[in-house]
Amino acid sequence: MARLEFPRLEFVGRFSRNRGALLGACLILVVALAALLAPLFFPADPLRIVGTPELWPGEDPAFPLGTDSLGRDILAMIVHGARATLLIGLCASAVATLIGVTVGAIAGYFGGWVDEVAMRAAELFQTIPNLIFVLTIVVILGSTLTNIVIAIGIVSWTSIARMTRAEFLALRDREFVQACRAMGMGNGRIIVGEILPNALPPVIVLSSLVVAGAILFESAVSFLGLGDPNLASWGRLVGDGRQLIRSSWYICAIPGVAIMLTVLCLNLIGDGLNDALNPKLRDR
Amino acid sequence: MASITSTGTSSRQLAALKLLRRRLIQAVPLMLGVVVINFCLIQLAPGSFLELMTAENQVSDPATVALLRKTYGLEDPVWLQLLKYIWALAHFDFGFSYRQNMPVIDAIWINLPATLLLMVSSITLALAVGVAAGVVASVKVRTFWDSLVSVAAMFFFAAPSFWLGIMLIVLFSVKLGWLPVGGMATIGGGGGVLDILHHLLLPTLALGLFYAAIYARVMRSSMLEVAQLDFVRTARAKGLSRNKVTIAHVLRNALLPVVTILGVQMGTVLAGSVVIESVFSWPGIGSLLFDSVSSRNYPVVLGIMVLGSLVVIAANIAVDLVYMWLDPRIEIR
Repeated sequence: MARLEFPRLEFVGRFSRNRGALLGACLILVVALAALLAPLFFPADPLRIVGTPELWPGEDPAFPLGTDSLGRDILAMIVHGARATLLIGLCASAVATLIGVTVGAIAGYFGGWVDEVAMRAAELFQTIPNLIFVLTIVVILGSTLTNIVIAIGIVSWTSIARMTRAEFLALRDREFVQACRAMGMGNGRIIVGEILPNALPPVIVLSSLVVAGAILFESAVSFLGLGDPNLASWGRLVGDGRQLIRSSWYICAIPGVAIMLTVLCLNLIGDGLNDALNPKLRDR
Repeated sequence: MASITSTGTSSRQLAALKLLRRRLIQAVPLMLGVVVINFCLIQLAPGSFLELMTAENQVSDPATVALLRKTYGLEDPVWLQLLKYIWALAHFDFGFSYRQNMPVIDAIWINLPATLLLMVSSITLALAVGVAAGVVASVKVRTFWDSLVSVAAMFFFAAPSFWLGIMLIVLFSVKLGWLPVGGMATIGGGGGVLDILHHLLLPTLALGLFYAAIYARVMRSSMLEVAQLDFVRTARAKGLSRNKVTIAHVLRNALLPVVTILGVQMGTVLAGSVVIESVFSWPGIGSLLFDSVSSRNYPVVLGIMVLGSLVVIAANIAVDLVYMWLDPRIEIR
C-alpha cells in the first residue's frame, strides 16, 4: 500500500502545542471517563427520587448540583446523561462518515455522471431543512436510539462526502494510483486500499466536528420530547426543566452548560487537528 | 462613459435573468427528489398510513375509510401511487388536516409569515453582528479585541440555541422583566409593529447568535486572506488610506465566502427556527410542526418538509443573485 508522506510525530507535536485543542482533549477525556464510569459513581438509577425537590446547587452537600422538580440528583443525571449524549454523537457521526466516505469516494474516483448524480444527491439532502427531516424520520419510524442515530447520520453526511470527493479528485491521477492501475489492480482495491488511507486524515477531522453537530441535533430532538424515552440525555434534562424557569432555572442551565462545554471541546479538538494537518492555514 | 455603464448594467441584468432561469430549471429535479424521499418515508411507516391517520382522527365510519382509501389511491401499485402523489403535490394538494379542519396547504400558509419573519430577522442580525465582529477581529488581529471575538464566537457556536433561548428568557424576562416570555404579540394589545419587534428580539438573538459566530470566524479569515492579495497592495500603493482600502476593497471581496455559507445554511436556519419557535411559543411553522409531530398528523409534517425545501431553494436563488451582484466577474454555473 502506498502511503504519502505523513510525519506523525510532527503532527502530534503541532496538535499539543495548540493550547485550546489540548484543553478540549483533556475535558473530553473527563466527559468520556464520566460516561464510562457512571455506574461506578452512581450505581443506583439516576431517575430515582433521592431528596427534597428543587434544592439549589450547594444547598445540600449531598447533592452538589442540586435536585430537580421531583427530587432527583442532577449530578447523577448529568453523569449518566453523558453516556447517552456521547453514544448518540459518536454513532451518528460514524453513520454519517460511512455514508459520506462511500458516496464521496465513488463520486471522486469515477467522476462523470456518477459524480454528477452523487453531488445532486448531496445537494438534495442539504435542501431539506435538516432538523425537520430528523423529526419527520423519528416521528414516522419511532423514537428509538437506532432511528435517532440513523436520522442524524442521514442529514450529516454531505460535508464529509464533499471533502472525500475533493481528496479523491486530487489523488486519483497521482503516480502511485497510476502504477496500481498499470499493475492491473481492480477499482475496488485501488479505492479502499490505496487512495482511501491517504484521503482519510482531513475526513477524520471533519468527523470530529460532525460529532459536535450530532450532539446538538440529539439535544434538540430530546429537548422537544422526541428522544428515546429510555435515555436521559442532556437535551431531555433541559426540556424537563423548562416548566420551572421562574423558580429554579438552574435545572435547565446545568445540562445546557454540559452540552455547550462538550460541543466546545469537540470543536477545539477539530480546529486543533485541522491546524496540525494544514500548518499553512494556521493563524487565519 | 455613460453609455458604457448602461450597457454594462443591461448585460448584467441579462446574466441575472439567465442565472434565474437556470436555477429554476435545476430546482425541478431537486423538488422531485424531496417528494420521492417523502413518499419513501410514508411507505416505510410501520402499519399503513391510512390506519395511522384514521386512528389519529378517530375515523371509524367505513364509508369515510373507503373514501380515504380512494383519495390516497391505496389500492394502486406503488409506482402509480408515487405518480399520483407527485401530481397532487404539483398542484399544491397536500391533503386535508383534520386537526385544523382545513387543507394542509392553508394550515402551513397561515403559519409561514411568522417563520419567515423570524428567519429574516435572525439572518440580518447574524450578518450584521458577524460581519462587524469579523472585520474588527481582522483589523485588530492578535489584540484583545481579536481574542474577545474568538472567545465569544466559540461560545455561541457551541451553545444549543434552545438553551440559549431559555437562558435569555430567564435573564431578560424573568429577572429583569424587560422583554416578553414568548408569543408574537401582547394578548389583547393592538398588535402593532413595535409590539411584534418587542416579542421578536429574544427569539432573534437565540437563533441568530449561532450564525453570527460562524460569520465572524469566516469573515475574519476571509478578510485576512483578501488583505494579502495584490490588488489590495496596489490600492494602498496608490495612496488610498487604510480605512478606505479596508472598506472599499477588502470588505466587499471578503464578503463572498460569507454569502456562500449563508446559501448553504438556509435549510439549517429554517430548521433552527423550529426549535426556537417551540421555546418562545412563536406562532410559525415550527409550532405547527411540533403540534403535528405530537399528534402524528403526518400530512402536515410531510407538507412542511416539502414547503420548507421550497423555501430553501427560493432563498438559495436569492443568495446566488446577491453573490453575482457582489462579484460580477463570476459566471455562476
